[in-house]
Amino acid sequence: MERVLILLLLSLALAEASPSQKGLIVNLDNGELCLNSFQCKSGCCNRRTGLSLARCTQKAAENQECSHKHIYGVYYRCPCESGLTCDADWTIVGGITNSDFGICQDPTQSH
Amino acid sequence: MFVFWSIALLLIDAAKGAEVCYDRLGCFTDDIPWSGTAERPIKRLPWSPEKINTRFLLYTKNNPNNFQEITAIKPETIDYSNFNASKMTRFITHGFVDQGEENWLSDMCKRMFEVEDVNCICIDWSKGSRCPYTIAANNIRVVGAEVAYFIKTLQAKYGYSPSMIHFIGHSLGAHAAAEMGTQVPGIGRITGLDPAQPYFQGTPPIVRLDKNDADFVDVIHTDSAPTIPNLGFGMSQAVGHLDFYPNGGEYMPGCKKNIISQIVDIDGIWEGTRDFVACNHLRSYKYYSDSILYPDGFLGYACAGYNLFETGTCFPCPQGGCPKMGHYADEFKNKITSEFQKLYLNTGDAKIFARWRYKISITLSGKSSVRGYIHIALYGTGGNTRQYQIFKGKLNPGETYSNLIDVELNVGTLTKVKFLWNNNIINPTLPRLGAEKITVQDGEHRNVFNFCGSETVREDVLQTLEPC
Repeated sequence: MERVLILLLLSLALAEASPSQKGLIVNLDNGELCLNSFQCKSGCCNRRTGLSLARCTQKAAENQECSHKHIYGVYYRCPCESGLTCDADWTIVGGITNSDFGICQDPTQSH
Repeated sequence: MFVFWSIALLLIDAAKGAEVCYDRLGCFTDDIPWSGTAERPIKRLPWSPEKINTRFLLYTKNNPNNFQEITAIKPETIDYSNFNASKMTRFITHGFVDQGEENWLSDMCKRMFEVEDVNCICIDWSKGSRCPYTIAANNIRVVGAEVAYFIKTLQAKYGYSPSMIHFIGHSLGAHAAAEMGTQVPGIGRITGLDPAQPYFQGTPPIVRLDKNDADFVDVIHTDSAPTIPNLGFGMSQAVGHLDFYPNGGEYMPGCKKNIISQIVDIDGIWEGTRDFVACNHLRSYKYYSDSILYPDGFLGYACAGYNLFETGTCFPCPQGGCPKMGHYADEFKNKITSEFQKLYLNTGDAKIFARWRYKISITLSGKSSVRGYIHIALYGTGGNTRQYQIFKGKLNPGETYSNLIDVELNVGTLTKVKFLWNNNIINPTLPRLGAEKITVQDGEHRNVFNFCGSETVREDVLQTLEPC
């Protein structure tokens, strides 16, 4: 058990010591495990279902499904890329369960 | 001194080679160049065919989920199986420590059945691959001979032409082609998926996969950094008619994840652990597998080097088109011109790996120059892309910025382009910038699309440009 711990600590230290820009806690690449969106380079920590693990994911492009920015910091659908708004309703249930989904749209173009 | 003597002893030892013969398959020596050279210092003879136990697992459209085991030793097993002698046969072979019943082999067969009707045979030689590397590297010769024997049996039984054979080998498996190609001339195609580097790179063509082993040999290099000290498992040497180096061939995107994220993979712990050990190396068959379903998503641009490819020197495709990496590489079979074609492309960092390359030039308009970045999104008949960064730094109105992007879908005929810029710091003067003209060139068809805009926008506001 101690050996495993030491190995883990060592690998953590190694990962931290690496000069590259990749991170263990913040500045995470897409596909890396996360707990909150602030950790991700992309700015979206996404999970598919309530039981699955969350990973950093690309933000939603125009015409893709999205959610509003949410206090939980973990999303079932990522927020939109910059310049786009997520055309979703605000509901109380959706607000709690983080399931107000919409479609990313460009506010400068009338729909 | 000790080192000198041990090397000298080794060379003397190698000079008098040993030989083993197996009745169906022929003889195997450990003479030079099989061992006793700088590339292959340790002397080994391959194990017996019985010990290696090469198995042929047949999948067809009629049995895509469960294999039928066939063998050339008892040819009647081929008669009883779903093997169809009028269809092409594709063999898939695994590499070191791997096994033929691993999911990626049968998944590749299943993908083939989505686009064609073939005999897909997964070759299992796990008994011979799970041993010290030096032995496995010699066992592959017996595997190659077994495949050759199998093809000869097909020839005798059905008059099956070797030109209808396609052999796909990953890692060590790719080098089985050396023995197979020597024994059976005129094999249609061999695909090397990141052929193994140690014991093969720099050796004579008889030892390793080479373009003389078949009418057409295409190779995908995904882990070609030197084994010492970078632990690259694949060959960097170009050995086929077409050699593809996706992402430069050494380090693949999506393979630098932290240890926990790598192992706890979306596709499960087993896939993750495999990727943890050899992510770059295994990417080769993942790209191939994706290429079956995305024929135009893996175009290889002929270039003198990856850095030149990255700067756009080798863009767009030449008049005759770009060779397609992976499954459809043989469409280029009759158009091979130069001796060794090195082809470069970029892929995605997770499945789906297919990417489409575009060249973008943006001429800015506005009053003041600011520091920031430019993003662009393409809209076309095929859908729209996400936003891609074209430039980061000082943005001067009137200046033109160009860059190449690899987007996640084939946009088709472009209908509009959206432009967005952002200042990195808060600027109280509220500057406005716009794109006066955007030119987009498609890599595959060389089409150029022009888009114009007259307005300027604040930061983080999308500007839509229409064709002009």
